[in-house]
Amino acid sequence: MAEPVLAIHDVAAGYDGRRVLDGVDLVVPAGRLTAIIGPNGHGKSTLLKAISGLVRVSAGSIALHGTRIDGLRPDQIVERGVIQVPQGDLLFPGMTVLDNLLMGAYRQDAARDAGARLDMVFTLLPKLKERRHQIAGTLSGGERRMCGIGRGLMAGDGLLMLDEPSLGLAPIVIDQIYEVIFDLCAAGRTILLVEENAQRITERADSIHLLDNGRFVWSGIGAELMARPEIIEAYLGA
Amino acid sequence: MDVFIQIVASGLTLGAMYAVATVGLSLVYGSLNMLNMAHGAILTLGGYLCYAGIQHLGLHPALALAGAAALCAVVGLLIYLGAALPLLRAEGFETNIFIATIGIGSILENLMLKGFGPYPIPQPLAVPGHVVLGNVHVPLQNLFILGVAVVLMAAVAFVLERTRTGRAIRATSMNREAAQLMGVRVGRVYAQVLAVSGALAAVSGVMISSIATLSPVMGGDPMLKAFIVCVVAGLGNVYGAVVAAIVLGLLEAATQYILGVRWSFATLLLIVILVLIWRPYGLFGRTQVVRL
Repeated sequence: MAEPVLAIHDVAAGYDGRRVLDGVDLVVPAGRLTAIIGPNGHGKSTLLKAISGLVRVSAGSIALHGTRIDGLRPDQIVERGVIQVPQGDLLFPGMTVLDNLLMGAYRQDAARDAGARLDMVFTLLPKLKERRHQIAGTLSGGERRMCGIGRGLMAGDGLLMLDEPSLGLAPIVIDQIYEVIFDLCAAGRTILLVEENAQRITERADSIHLLDNGRFVWSGIGAELMARPEIIEAYLGA
Repeated sequence: MDVFIQIVASGLTLGAMYAVATVGLSLVYGSLNMLNMAHGAILTLGGYLCYAGIQHLGLHPALALAGAAALCAVVGLLIYLGAALPLLRAEGFETNIFIATIGIGSILENLMLKGFGPYPIPQPLAVPGHVVLGNVHVPLQNLFILGVAVVLMAAVAFVLERTRTGRAIRATSMNREAAQLMGVRVGRVYAQVLAVSGALAAVSGVMISSIATLSPVMGGDPMLKAFIVCVVAGLGNVYGAVVAAIVLGLLEAATQYILGVRWSFATLLLIVILVLIWRPYGLFGRTQVVRL
């Protein structure tokens, strides 16, 4: 197997001395959709923040294409091509949609072909083109999510990490968002997806990892997960 | 009519000076949540450095002004490196930096007291002459101040709106974590903002001392007014601060004429209280609207 995009080994991390992650191992292969599922408050977002450098890794290692990135500043990690679309969008509320997207292309090499990227994002998410001069804080929930994903795409190719892209959206809007995500997968993008709503992704994800109480307790593919109703019942309450 | 021209002319001059003094304060608060209590001392330092440049080094006034701005930018940078950066790593940054900058301001003021003495000194940067509007003689000095302020504000607006650096500054002030996820090195943004704030403070110090006089404590009053402008506009709102500064300048000139100088500050404070009762986040304050 080719070298994975991201290799996480025995990582521990947390806030103010409280360990949220402990002994986390994960491999994200190139061109695949890797999904992390699990109940709320068990470290899914913390893991993404640790990868992005927003939360300090206290033990273990995180390697991108074989080079360690744990311990680097968040901007250095982004510069190496690890892009996160954070939970709840975290748009820049006072900026226009266009300025938000341009902020996505802040990375040095993304800024160079921001124009071409913008066309690509507008083709993929035509709604954003209509709204490009609107202040981001006044968008609807679905539009905000699209703006968040579009902003992530502006950063260029690389590992795309999506933190709960369906959170708080109406089912029909979730469908639209996932259509975009699956299009990206089909185009060969490497994606690390955090999702509470396991049913959404069981059929499409190349591998699924169940994070419980700060560590992975089960890994497999969607069909295997479906064959284990006790896991779904115990962890995801469905 | 002549009275009106008089009030507008001096009000705009006051407003322009407040605007330049306020924008830096507002930028720093917007991006770091830092109330820089040394701002007034940096402003005074700018005035003295310009004076020293012209009087002791024999520099051209424009060069002295630019030099004062550059040196005060360095002071801003040093405040970032020496105070803000270490304090950012710990809890309670807002309170700690507030107290730390009071100390830095006090040190700067006392150094100036030691270096330049306690007596008022005239600022040698002066534009002689006047224009006549109606029956009113408007000093060219006032127009010069207004012109410099307009150019500086336009430059700040251009950088904030049109450049990659400016977008990063705005992004950091709106959401620090999201800015980091875009690849913004927030430490660099903080350093840039404090340096720009220092340079703007220096220019406003030169302007203020050119129509008043230089003294080690001259920064206190404009800093207080800059804070008032910031609060009225909504802390951290840069454009609101410019508008509020000019309006307050005009109001101050009007109250000084109508009620007398001693009422001007009281009136200013009264307006602040009324504004904050009416709009607790300031006139242009951001009240987050979240639709789901």
